Amino acid sequence: MDDGHRMIRAFVVAVLAAVAVPSGFLLLAGKAPLATWGALLSYTLGTWVGFSDVLIHAIPLTLIGIGVAVAFRAGIFNLGGDGQLICGAVLAVALAPILGGFEWLGLPIFLVAGFVGGGVIGGLVGWLRARFGANEIIVTIMMNYVALQLLTWLIRGPLQDPLRIFPRSYALAIELQLPIVGGGTRLHAGIIAAALAAGLMQIVISRTTFGFRLAVLGESSGAAVYAGINVARVTVGAMVLSGGFAGLAGAVEIAGVHQRLQDNFAGGFGLEAIAVALMARLHPIAVPLTSVLFGVFYVGSGALQRQMSVPFPLVWIIEGVVILAYLGFVAAAARKAARTA
Amino acid sequence: MARAPLLELRGVTKRFPGVVANDNVSLSLAASEVLGVLGENGAGKSTLMNILAGLVIPDAGEIVLDGMPIRLATPRDAVAAGIGMVHQHFKLIDTLTVQENLALGDRRWGRRVVDYRGLSRTIGGLARELGMQFDPTARIDRLSVGQQQQIEILKALSRNPRILILDEPTSVLAPEERGGLFAMIARLRERGTGVILISHRMEDILETCERVIVMRQSRVVGGGAVAGLDRAALVRMVVGESLPRLEHRSAHAGRPVLTVEDLVLLRPNGLPAVAGASFELRAGEVTALCGVEGNGQSELIELIAGMRGPQGGRMVYHLGSGRHVGPMSPEALRALGVAHVPEDRLRYGLIGAFSLADNWLLTNLWNAIFAPGGWLRPEQGRIRCGQAIRAYDIRAGGPAARLRTLSGGNQQKFVLARELADTPQLIIAAHATRGLDVRTIDFVLRELLRARDRGAAVLLLSADLDEAWEVADQVMVMSRGHLRGPVPLAATTRHEVGHWMTGTA
Repeated sequence: MDDGHRMIRAFVVAVLAAVAVPSGFLLLAGKAPLATWGALLSYTLGTWVGFSDVLIHAIPLTLIGIGVAVAFRAGIFNLGGDGQLICGAVLAVALAPILGGFEWLGLPIFLVAGFVGGGVIGGLVGWLRARFGANEIIVTIMMNYVALQLLTWLIRGPLQDPLRIFPRSYALAIELQLPIVGGGTRLHAGIIAAALAAGLMQIVISRTTFGFRLAVLGESSGAAVYAGINVARVTVGAMVLSGGFAGLAGAVEIAGVHQRLQDNFAGGFGLEAIAVALMARLHPIAVPLTSVLFGVFYVGSGALQRQMSVPFPLVWIIEGVVILAYLGFVAAAARKAARTA
Repeated sequence: MARAPLLELRGVTKRFPGVVANDNVSLSLAASEVLGVLGENGAGKSTLMNILAGLVIPDAGEIVLDGMPIRLATPRDAVAAGIGMVHQHFKLIDTLTVQENLALGDRRWGRRVVDYRGLSRTIGGLARELGMQFDPTARIDRLSVGQQQQIEILKALSRNPRILILDEPTSVLAPEERGGLFAMIARLRERGTGVILISHRMEDILETCERVIVMRQSRVVGGGAVAGLDRAALVRMVVGESLPRLEHRSAHAGRPVLTVEDLVLLRPNGLPAVAGASFELRAGEVTALCGVEGNGQSELIELIAGMRGPQGGRMVYHLGSGRHVGPMSPEALRALGVAHVPEDRLRYGLIGAFSLADNWLLTNLWNAIFAPGGWLRPEQGRIRCGQAIRAYDIRAGGPAARLRTLSGGNQQKFVLARELADTPQLIIAAHATRGLDVRTIDFVLRELLRARDRGAAVLLLSADLDEAWEVADQVMVMSRGHLRGPVPLAATTRHEVGHWMTGTA
């Protein structure tokens, strides 16, 4: 219960910091902070169009964030969300032409293909770590560049749209597109996938032996060996899941938003997802909430740029401050615990 | 007793939220005197010493040095007052050399550029005087635990303290290293240093101290000149009652439970950690495995417990109705009835950040009661854990309490309760009593003997021959990877086994 309190306090402190520090920058830039924040909130939470954009942004963020949380629980730092997202999208789109024959099963297979695409890449990283002790931070970051180059080549080569005018892939058949669920907006059914994933992974983490083993490995590799936990298997499993959810996010983005592969379709969700997972204290069930919060900042900053000519990088300041405030609070709490124990 | 006191504590009281750690504690120490401080875990010894080291500020009472009241608000004050402290857990940096560790935080050797030559000349001289080995360029992690402790002591002594506090210095030492430590204490005393020795071991106090004070429940409850006391009297003071002696009923060795043949384990550098060990553990028998730290006995335990695989040899477990050939995973072994009390409970056996109930699940995931078909049943963990808390009298806030809130002794009781819960047939216990107070040691050894008497085979790794002699039926020794024995206890002596341990026979 104590933990719950601390979690809420950390959350509040992080949000306050995320408001206070950028306010200082806004003052420096000669903008009125209150009016700016007011505009941000009234667009993102006050208009249906704005809020649906927030949710659309929160969908991939939630999926990747869940994956990040799962890996972090096992003590693995998966910074490869962007690359895994691309790989999932690529595999799904590559298979798209043959999915037409599966009728209504086509879309589920498309999404599963996304999961598999990301999961294979994630699993590879897990295997490298388990087998050779490779540092997953470095490997996942490098994989991001590999995936990006792969995408760049594919949409100018094998997967390019038959007209070969733009660097982009062929469009998805209408059966493979996620239906719109928000009337009059672009909000797609990916939101259901994200909500299901959050609930499912919360159960896996809190109610299964696999989830327990993840936590043991994350807390103490010595205890994991002592208890007979197969460290390699759990490491690979955690990374397959982690990469899989990022890959699923990729497939969802294609099927719900872009309908085809193109440059820059993976808009740097990976790092944002880390902040999202940290703020949710690695509880999958809380990830959708923190994703929506970041969606508010992201979509709101976009609106501010258009309406009040506040530069968009404000959102990066906000993200950085949130992560720092959160980590600072956790470190302070840990020191306090060490002093009183 | 006619000597004027060098240091006096008068009526020192320290309260922490919810507990009084020191209640009106007084003591005095003369120059050239060795004062023992005895007490169970949690009796308030550490708080008292932390007050003297400037780490804890008392709420009431006086600290008097040479007849003058002083205030120790920071560790620096304590050093300036001439009080040196050697902590139980060493505060050395493993990857640095001896001289780098000695220079750390000590400005006498230069603020920007360290005068290592001057340092090793000065401290080397001190080491020679005290009969210690001193290699200034050796890395700390290459030294034995006993040598590391000597560096800690040298570090404290290099500041010329008039009072040296040693917190449980013998708990990590092998028997012959203990002798070296006592010899050093004797030399310090000749130099006029006052020494305070904290220990759980009555033998330490009887061998080295002139006077002793005994703490129980935050107070000084007794003490006096050691000359008039014996072990039983000390135990009575510490525990508040006399503990019945462990009665050593003769064992009824039954069928073999574990047969080990030519077991080989190589270290990463290619040298053998375990060089061809063969032995048999039988039901209803306690086998003590003795050895000086770092001679391969820890590795042997890890092999038997399934934590790593051997490069050669065979392990056959005769458990349940069948014959199982190892290596097997720790989880599979537990399902067959193998219990393992690991050497370092917080590194292996427990997770400090987990609740007690979750720590109970840690080694029970194979069990369908706790994890049927891959699903956790945390409520079962809570129920069993709650029963164990009552049965073993574990002082904890309940199954939901975090494990790290327990004292060391209670943590060890918890491990024991968990590992002995399903009447295991083979019990592997490594340093099961390390760092525990006399009452908890008694409890742990009794539980192991009880398990033996109902037919379990017990392998007890211990560096303490007295303990081995108290509970074991046979003894074996590891020295540089080679196994000697097992021999029945009656067929050997402590003296002989001590020689085997040091490789001098």
